[in-house]
Amino acid sequence: MTLAPETSDLINVEIDGVEMNVPKGTLIIRAAELIGTEVPRFCDHPLLAPVAACRMCLVEIEGNPKPQPACAIELTPGMKVRTQRSSEVAEKAQQGVMEFLLANHPLDCPVCDKGGECPLQNQAMSAGRAESRHDIPKRIFDKPVPINTEILLDRERCVSCARCTRFADQIAGDPKLELLERGAKQQVGVANDEPFDSYFSGNTIQICPVGALTSSSYRFRARPFDLVSTPTTCEHCASGCSLRTDARRGEVTRRLAWHDADVNEDWNCDKGRFAFTYLSQDRINSPMIRENGELRVASWPEALDVAARGLRSAQGSTAVLTGGRLTMEDAYAYAKFARVVLGTDDIDFRARRSSSEEAAFLRASIAGDCGPTYADLDKAPIVLLVAFEPEDESPIVLLRLRAASLRRGLRVVALSPIASRGLEKIAGEWAPIAPGADAGALHALAQGGGDVPNGASIAEALRQPGAVILVGERIADVSGGPSAVAALAAATGARIGWVPRRAGERGALEAGALSGLLPGGRPLDDVHARAQLAQVWGVDAADLPTSVGRDGASIVSAAAAGGLGALVVGGLEPRDAAQPAAMRRALDNAGFVVSLETRRTEVTDRADVVLPVAVVTEKSGTFVDWEGRRRPFARVFGDALMMSDGRVLAMLADVMDSSIGRGDVKSLRNELDSLGPWTGARAVAPSDSAAAEQTGGPLLVTWRLLLDDAALQEGEPNLAGTRRRTVAVVSAATAASLGVAAGQRVTVTGPAGSVSMPVEIGSIVDNAVWLPSNASDCAIASLGVAPGQPVRVSGGAA
Amino acid sequence: MTLGPEIRAEMEQIKQRYPDPRSALLPMLHLVQSVQSEVTTEGMALCADVLSITPAEVAAVATFYTMYKRRPVGKHHIGVCTNTLCGLLGGDAVYAALSERLGVGHDESTPDGKFWLERIECQAACTHAPVMTVDWEFMDQQTPASAIDVIDQLARGEEVRSTRGPVIRNFTATERTLAFPDDGLAGEGPVADELMLAGLRVAQERGMSAPTAGQGN
Ligand code: SF4
Ligand code: SF4
Ligand code: FES
Ligand code: FES
Repeated sequence: MTLAPETSDLINVEIDGVEMNVPKGTLIIRAAELIGTEVPRFCDHPLLAPVAACRMCLVEIEGNPKPQPACAIELTPGMKVRTQRSSEVAEKAQQGVMEFLLANHPLDCPVCDKGGECPLQNQAMSAGRAESRHDIPKRIFDKPVPINTEILLDRERCVSCARCTRFADQIAGDPKLELLERGAKQQVGVANDEPFDSYFSGNTIQICPVGALTSSSYRFRARPFDLVSTPTTCEHCASGCSLRTDARRGEVTRRLAWHDADVNEDWNCDKGRFAFTYLSQDRINSPMIRENGELRVASWPEALDVAARGLRSAQGSTAVLTGGRLTMEDAYAYAKFARVVLGTDDIDFRARRSSSEEAAFLRASIAGDCGPTYADLDKAPIVLLVAFEPEDESPIVLLRLRAASLRRGLRVVALSPIASRGLEKIAGEWAPIAPGADAGALHALAQGGGDVPNGASIAEALRQPGAVILVGERIADVSGGPSAVAALAAATGARIGWVPRRAGERGALEAGALSGLLPGGRPLDDVHARAQLAQVWGVDAADLPTSVGRDGASIVSAAAAGGLGALVVGGLEPRDAAQPAAMRRALDNAGFVVSLETRRTEVTDRADVVLPVAVVTEKSGTFVDWEGRRRPFARVFGDALMMSDGRVLAMLADVMDSSIGRGDVKSLRNELDSLGPWTGARAVAPSDSAAAEQTGGPLLVTWRLLLDDAALQEGEPNLAGTRRRTVAVVSAATAASLGVAAGQRVTVTGPAGSVSMPVEIGSIVDNAVWLPSNASDCAIASLGVAPGQPVRVSGGAA
Repeated sequence: MTLGPEIRAEMEQIKQRYPDPRSALLPMLHLVQSVQSEVTTEGMALCADVLSITPAEVAAVATFYTMYKRRPVGKHHIGVCTNTLCGLLGGDAVYAALSERLGVGHDESTPDGKFWLERIECQAACTHAPVMTVDWEFMDQQTPASAIDVIDQLARGEEVRSTRGPVIRNFTATERTLAFPDDGLAGEGPVADELMLAGLRVAQERGMSAPTAGQGN
């Protein structure tokens, strides 16, 4: 925002006697940084609009009677500025401000989390007086007060810099944290009974320049100088945030957003910040094999031997299912293991609702392609959201869209049955469609707009250079949907950004962990592609599978019917599957199941051999974010004994008298890189026709909220405390026809079960009901109904 | 007293007065006080709802301005200016006398709910220092005795007039005027009297003027 003004107009200025040319509009504080001068500051933040609230950055400007705040004053041609470096006036002014700031500061550094990394502590040393002249009582508040379950506020430490409140308002779009009262009583706070409800709230802890905002989970757990910090990438979603993981004595103590101007800027979401306790829970530490129906601990050689024999005897009838959470390198190891060792193309990384049409779409339109980037969103004339809710499904995408919408009125249009809270925050446009009617609407847009609300203008905007279609993984639920997205892109020239929820999906796609797709976006049914792989893999091309294998759904139904000899499963949760019961049956009825897992799950409970693998902190690797950008991360615990999936698969391959190489991260990555991009013909995009319109009673609309009952959020009650309340959303007309009023409980029933929760009236099309997919009290999978299908809604009793 | 649908309707009406709806918040908060004699959580939530802003944003405003109270003010609001000029010319003594008489301190109300006492900041009425306000109507040039007299009359339910004319009503009535200033009462009493203009006259006679920017230091 205030970083580098977008102008080429240079002006000549002088700071501390140093002449320099800076772009017009540059703030004094930024220009001083260019010559290595740090003007002390608290409220200044490059991504927040200046407020000059703390007055710490006072400098002398020639011709100005009083010192001025460097963080809020733009340089003008010829301006001469003197900072504390060359001006006694500035130095004295800063010391005076520091004295005021400390007048009410408790100086309880020895019991403050910020101690050791505190801008107030540091700047009191560098820009303050050596001795205090204060002997008056300081203001005292009850401490600490929670502003939500994750964050505790110690008001007496606050320097009223308004960073947290400006973040809430300007960046997150959740202005629920404010400066209250005035004068000596001024304090940060929330409205009565209304916690700071924001998916991004944890960022305020990080940007608070004092210890006023602290993390409930981290409070009193460590000193910054005892922590070992490692640059990492968030494993929770495809936004791809850079994080810093801080650990102490073999345990992660906290995670922070790390600066990456191209991706997450300085922010992240609360899931990425707080959801890491799962890493050490329920871990499996040693291999296990099933004997007389029970799992027992086994040695590596024994377990690998049993696994190898089981897989070998099922040769010709094996398949591989990987969850969407693997690193690119590990996914590549599975992709290679399937083709080279098992000789099968039956592999799918999509352990969620998916379709074969989606697979065809991914092969043709996404894999191997550099899609639009965050920067392209910044510049786009229009961004069309299809089957995608950015705030819940990729929070940093939401922040980027919001920033561009505020800055230059970026037009964001959501083609959706419901206008989400996220859409409201980005001041987006809602193009309402009936649930499941995405394909028809997309085709209409391709043809100029049709009866899509505002269709003609959306269609026209999509034809402008730089237009972007962001499509979520939920498009797989719409038959004809993926085809229609491809068709719309082809018709308008708009680029497609595919935004899956999980962090590992895009990497798995690039690594070829999908039937019909070899690494690097190569179509399996292309003889040249196979030849390239055969060469790199050192195998005979004739030994590689030649025809497109089965996708996840077919693998599951084959296994469930008892028609599969063996299944290799890596990191998936049956309850995330399209049909959890079918997935469980598949695991029960497959001839032999090898599970590579970090912890006890429903899969390990059903596996014949369990091979323990490393969690993200115990290995290095790469996630590929939705842009297709690689996000490598380092190992946090260098002495961890756990091996990555790749290493374990390599050992298994060896025992099976085959090879996928050494399986370590470096060699897997190098091998993948040596393949280079695919330059041959791409697969053809699917052209399934749009499904017929659904009839019958309210149609189900659902997605997973950012914070829900997911396995990776276990063990973090403070994070769980900020989940959104479970509600069903219907339109006023639908509520009336169902005879229910806002606040009353309703029961939503599908063929397999029902869930009940309070109902809310919202901006949603008629004859539709929205539910969260995976709230603790609302597991949609248990209804036995797919999104877009009719459900029964009953109730009305309070 | 809860805020019924008619109050919401009036808030909507106030909202129409401004090109940017959130500008309506100040009069809306006065409207809440005109009904409940304080800004309640309920009132803040209603303002937030009508203006589509968050309750926290309303709270930030409601707690910033001292004219908004979060405990019931009661029947009459008594303000005594204790800023420099009034304070030196007797405001401190007036405040002390009232405080003793009413048995309450700054920003407190009497147990019977009749009076709320508050030290207030400069009312831009320094020419008539020391000033007191009753339900925000001026009582100019007070002494401890005259101030207590006013209180006593009010306590007895007698009619009291501002030294500038208007009849004192009560706190909530004034709050109503602040929410809807077009009730014809706002201009009651003199805008400027001889004493207030005396300084200006002298300056004009002698050709004095304020220094312009850049002059002096
Ligand atoms: S709580 Fe921290 S970030 Fe917020 S205003 Fe106070 S010092 Fe600044
Ligand atoms: S936005 Fe996604 S990648 Fe970033 S911290 Fe949150 S979950 Fe992790
Ligand atoms: S940093 Fe400039 S006023 Fe706070
Ligand atoms: S000091 Fe009392 S009115 Fe100005």
